[in-house]
Amino acid sequence: MKRTLLFFLGILLAVTGAAPSRAQSDLPPLTTPEGFAVPQPGHVFSFPRDHAAHPEFRIEWWYITGHLYAADGRRFGLQATFFRTAAPDRSGDLHLAHMALLDVTTGHFLHQERLNREGWDARAAVDRLDVANGPWGLQMTEPVTEQMLLRGGIRGEASFTLELTPSKPLVRFGENGYSRKGADPTAASYYLTFPRIATRGDLVVGTENLTVTGELWMDHEISSSQLSAGQVGWDWISVHFTDQREIMLYRLRRSDGSADPASTLTWVDADGRTQVAPFTWTVQSTWKSAKTGAVYPSKVKVVTTDPATGASVVLFIEPLAESQELTGELGGVPYWEGACRVRDASGREIGSAFMELTGYAKDLKI
Amino acid sequence: MSTALVTTLLHRVILRQWRLAPRATLLLTGILALGVAVYVSIRLANRAAVASFTHFTDTLTGQSDWIIQAPAGALAESVLPELRRALGARPVHVIPVLEATAAAPAAGGDGGRFGRPSYTLLGVDLIGVSNLARSPDGVGAYYGQSTPDRADSAEAADFWAALRAGPQVWISPEFAPTPPRQLSIVLDERVVELRVAGVIPSAPEAPRVPANLMVMDLASLQRLTGKEGWIDRIEFIVEAGPRQAEQRAELAALLAELGRDRWSLSSPGARRESAEVMTRAFRLNLTVLSLIALLVGLYLIFQALDGAVVRRRGEIAVLRSLGVEESTIRQVWLAEAAVLGLVGGTLGVALGWLGAQVSVRAVGQTVNALYFGTTVNQANLSVSEALLGIVLGVVTSVAAGWWPASAAARTPPAQVLHRGSAPAVGARWARSPMIAGGCLLLAVACAQLPGFPLPGGGRFPVAGYAVAFLAIFGGGILCSHLLAPVARLASAWGRRRAPACVALSHLRQPSGRHRLAAAALHCAIGMTAGMAILVGSFDQTVRNWVQRTLQADLYIASDGAQTANAQNRISADAAAALAAHPTVAAANVLVAWRIELDGRPTVLSGTDFAVLQAHMDLPWIDPPPAGTAFIGKEGPTPVVVSESFTERFDRRSGDSVRVTTSTGSRDLQIVGVFADYGNEQGSILLDRSHLVDWFRDTSVTSVSLWLQPGVDADTVRADLLAQYPGLSVLTNSRLRAEILRIFRQTFAITYALEIIGVLVAVIGLVLTLTSVLLDRRDELTTLRALGFSRHEIAVATAIEGTALSAAAVAGGLALSLGLGWLLIHVINKQSFGWTLGFALPWGQLAALGLLVTLAGAAVSYGVGRWGANLPADQEA
Repeated sequence: MKRTLLFFLGILLAVTGAAPSRAQSDLPPLTTPEGFAVPQPGHVFSFPRDHAAHPEFRIEWWYITGHLYAADGRRFGLQATFFRTAAPDRSGDLHLAHMALLDVTTGHFLHQERLNREGWDARAAVDRLDVANGPWGLQMTEPVTEQMLLRGGIRGEASFTLELTPSKPLVRFGENGYSRKGADPTAASYYLTFPRIATRGDLVVGTENLTVTGELWMDHEISSSQLSAGQVGWDWISVHFTDQREIMLYRLRRSDGSADPASTLTWVDADGRTQVAPFTWTVQSTWKSAKTGAVYPSKVKVVTTDPATGASVVLFIEPLAESQELTGELGGVPYWEGACRVRDASGREIGSAFMELTGYAKDLKI
Repeated sequence: MSTALVTTLLHRVILRQWRLAPRATLLLTGILALGVAVYVSIRLANRAAVASFTHFTDTLTGQSDWIIQAPAGALAESVLPELRRALGARPVHVIPVLEATAAAPAAGGDGGRFGRPSYTLLGVDLIGVSNLARSPDGVGAYYGQSTPDRADSAEAADFWAALRAGPQVWISPEFAPTPPRQLSIVLDERVVELRVAGVIPSAPEAPRVPANLMVMDLASLQRLTGKEGWIDRIEFIVEAGPRQAEQRAELAALLAELGRDRWSLSSPGARRESAEVMTRAFRLNLTVLSLIALLVGLYLIFQALDGAVVRRRGEIAVLRSLGVEESTIRQVWLAEAAVLGLVGGTLGVALGWLGAQVSVRAVGQTVNALYFGTTVNQANLSVSEALLGIVLGVVTSVAAGWWPASAAARTPPAQVLHRGSAPAVGARWARSPMIAGGCLLLAVACAQLPGFPLPGGGRFPVAGYAVAFLAIFGGGILCSHLLAPVARLASAWGRRRAPACVALSHLRQPSGRHRLAAAALHCAIGMTAGMAILVGSFDQTVRNWVQRTLQADLYIASDGAQTANAQNRISADAAAALAAHPTVAAANVLVAWRIELDGRPTVLSGTDFAVLQAHMDLPWIDPPPAGTAFIGKEGPTPVVVSESFTERFDRRSGDSVRVTTSTGSRDLQIVGVFADYGNEQGSILLDRSHLVDWFRDTSVTSVSLWLQPGVDADTVRADLLAQYPGLSVLTNSRLRAEILRIFRQTFAITYALEIIGVLVAVIGLVLTLTSVLLDRRDELTTLRALGFSRHEIAVATAIEGTALSAAAVAGGLALSLGLGWLLIHVINKQSFGWTLGFALPWGQLAALGLLVTLAGAAVSYGVGRWGANLPADQEA
């Protein structure tokens, strides 16, 4: 079996095709050798335009994750992602979208991918947030309140129409949205996030119609290369604490298993201010996928300091179900992305989280 | 108890009989097997030919739920975003498809022979189809195939390179054992070179990829065919889920509501069905013809079993006097017939499967020429079909054995009959000329009945076949009455020769066995000669038609058009360039659009009527009034229609027709009817200027050129071919020959079926004479004692057989005149809507008569020599 279209691999490989780093100057080049724009420090964003697509960059995604609750107390994990990637010769875009839904009660995990060329069945508008892939779509319906509408589903087995209202202002990670992902100066992104979005809407699971509310996290990342040479993948976690604060953590893994220095943990306080804090990452248990053979961290212990108190904080990230792997039929790269709960050292549940683990599948060659 | 007795008796009486006369048993089984085989093989071939109407997209996407299609012409791509918007969040895959046909370039020397391999090029979004659950390996399945010219490394870069590479095609794994790197195909008027990117991947549960299917990316095929922005159809697949059925119905309602006049909605099943409906008349006719051999076989089995009853009357009488009941005796004989049927049927199924491998090509070729492209080259046998064949064998055999079984059962126990005096075979009524006359009269009456309308168009000539059956039956009875006059006639010649006297004395008072053999042979000859008359008439009519309609010197079409439903065209520029060739005196064009009328396919064709009227003579069946203006724009557009159109759509001169074009509905008025033997689905002909307006397309289907006097057509042909290698340029004589070849090919299989019928009848003659001689063992002993040599006995038998054959030939040829008339004026007209002139192929009929008579003489001489050696006491 040759799974040659590796959408992600295309992204990951971009780095090997990139120009040799001019690390001495530490200033990123304006473009990649293929002519794609490279994120620049000090960039000034303009909204709502910058919620839309940036075709001058090679890779872009709108990434929504979070937890939904039905009136009867049932809980669901939700992922809805829209990727855009450009051909190396900039002759056109491919659009990949992933949808996943975890029914926490049953542990039933549904997911689907969709891949289309830019055209009548997939688009990303450049003037406003309006991305679509087949029947799935994400639009900003109210530029002033930044209200959005998300429409998605998994085959005919589940579907949802959700109204998204940011309950906290947009956060720009890194240096005012310029987020370094490695030593290579092109390995950076513009990283814009709505860390906490209140949502309500309709969820159809099987033949059941449910009204749901919940809290979501939405990333919008724009880049032309995400990883540096020698990096094999990343771990990413977003945490919604019950005290209205959040954490975003990304850990860039090198081939020897160590974390790249560019790895970061960022606290977002109740007002949306960010503060970086040191962290340690300990895998406490693992889960092996029967489908791909990949061994993923399952329960993870993260130790960091609370910027408000300066005290050490221990967080246990525990998946709500182990089997939340997206097997990567179309994108070519399997990864684990799932709903988790967060406990403190005393075992008390202090929030919910979403964790993403990439580069663990055995057939991922870099 | 009774069952055990039946088994014992079967074993003691019947099986012993089979062991002692293995050749006769073998022949009988063979006849039955042949009858079943012919039926089975035609059935398999028919099914395979229709099954090969592949809904090609199935191989890539699995079965679609719904398909939308413009009622005529293509659909604009702009409906796609509209559809996606209208579908909203519904989980539906929307798959636009462009389909094109192409052919392999002509190999040197075959000079435009129709029927070369043709391909279906399917243009689909190869990235988009990777979203379907069944795609085996995502887009990598297409764009990640390793080909010899690409290294295995840098896979992602390769993907993009493969995606962006120029026109490339994926071919069926069955196209060639190792896929070529490059492929030339004829598309419209061009020969196109395509890079072969790999083979079409298929999921394990997907239907086999047909060998002639080629897949291209949609955009790439659109560019190649000049159809940027256009698609042929859009397929919809509702994604799996608990509400799938409900969502399917919702989708249909939505599409119907959105479509209204813009597209028609169908399901792939309905499309497959329409292919079946299209060819139904043709296939039914073949099936009926395939039953003839079995019908002839029925006569012979009846006779053989009856002969056995007569010969074993003594044994039966003994059994009866031992207390065996009538019903037991009947069961034993029926069981024998059933066993015979079982063995014959089973053999027949095997033989039929073998035959199907041959006949499937012939059936496929006809379907190709008349209906649509098929790729069939093998027919598979299913369990149900095998069972059907066996059941057919058993039923035939038991039906034929019914009367003999009853006769056996009725044998009075006390009566030990004299061996030679075989009573009449069959009921007395079966010999009555009154009954025969009645049958024939009824046949004449039936011939007036209309055909039985088939759902979806066309009619099946039920009455026509009833007539044929009545005529065969009645004629068979009458024919047996010919035996005595033939014998009397021959007596004048053979009075002084002892063998002749002996032979003819038997015929002057023919036994039932003689009568049956004559009837069987008569039936076979009648059908074969009838068919020969039909084919001969067809041939003659088509010749005349070709003579009248083919007046131009050169005929030009895309070489890509190799089947009846090919869509290849010539661009307007190329057509104009052809017409402007310095040697051309006049030119005309024909454009054909396939449209749907009353839900059935037909053809809307346009030509330049001014040129048509100046240079051609349409074979009118009902000519339009003189001075009809075909170009006027006022009121309904005047059109002429083909004769098959009037039959299929039940519209005549004066009627109006509303057709849908790509720019809306148009009203047409029929002003005339012409004969067209080239299209069974009917066609509407009007001035091309209308079609250019209605379809906004200037391409043409064919161009005909009249050359200036003195110009050599072959030279011009060579010149045009050099300029346009993708065109097929046929000279007048070549096209005539080609048309006639196709027509003969169409009838080749029906002919073969009849020949098998004659063969069965001749074998039957052997069987008859064998049993007659067995009955006459005493007489043979006497003849030998009187000094008859073996040769003389054989000659006597030969005379008997020849006279019998001659009577059957005379009766059969008389029958064939009636059947020929019936086939031409009733069955053919009702099935296909073609009027044919009656023409008698004298030579063929004479040859058939002579051949059968000679064959009769030869086989009966052989049987006679065998009979001469028959010891008087051999148990029979």
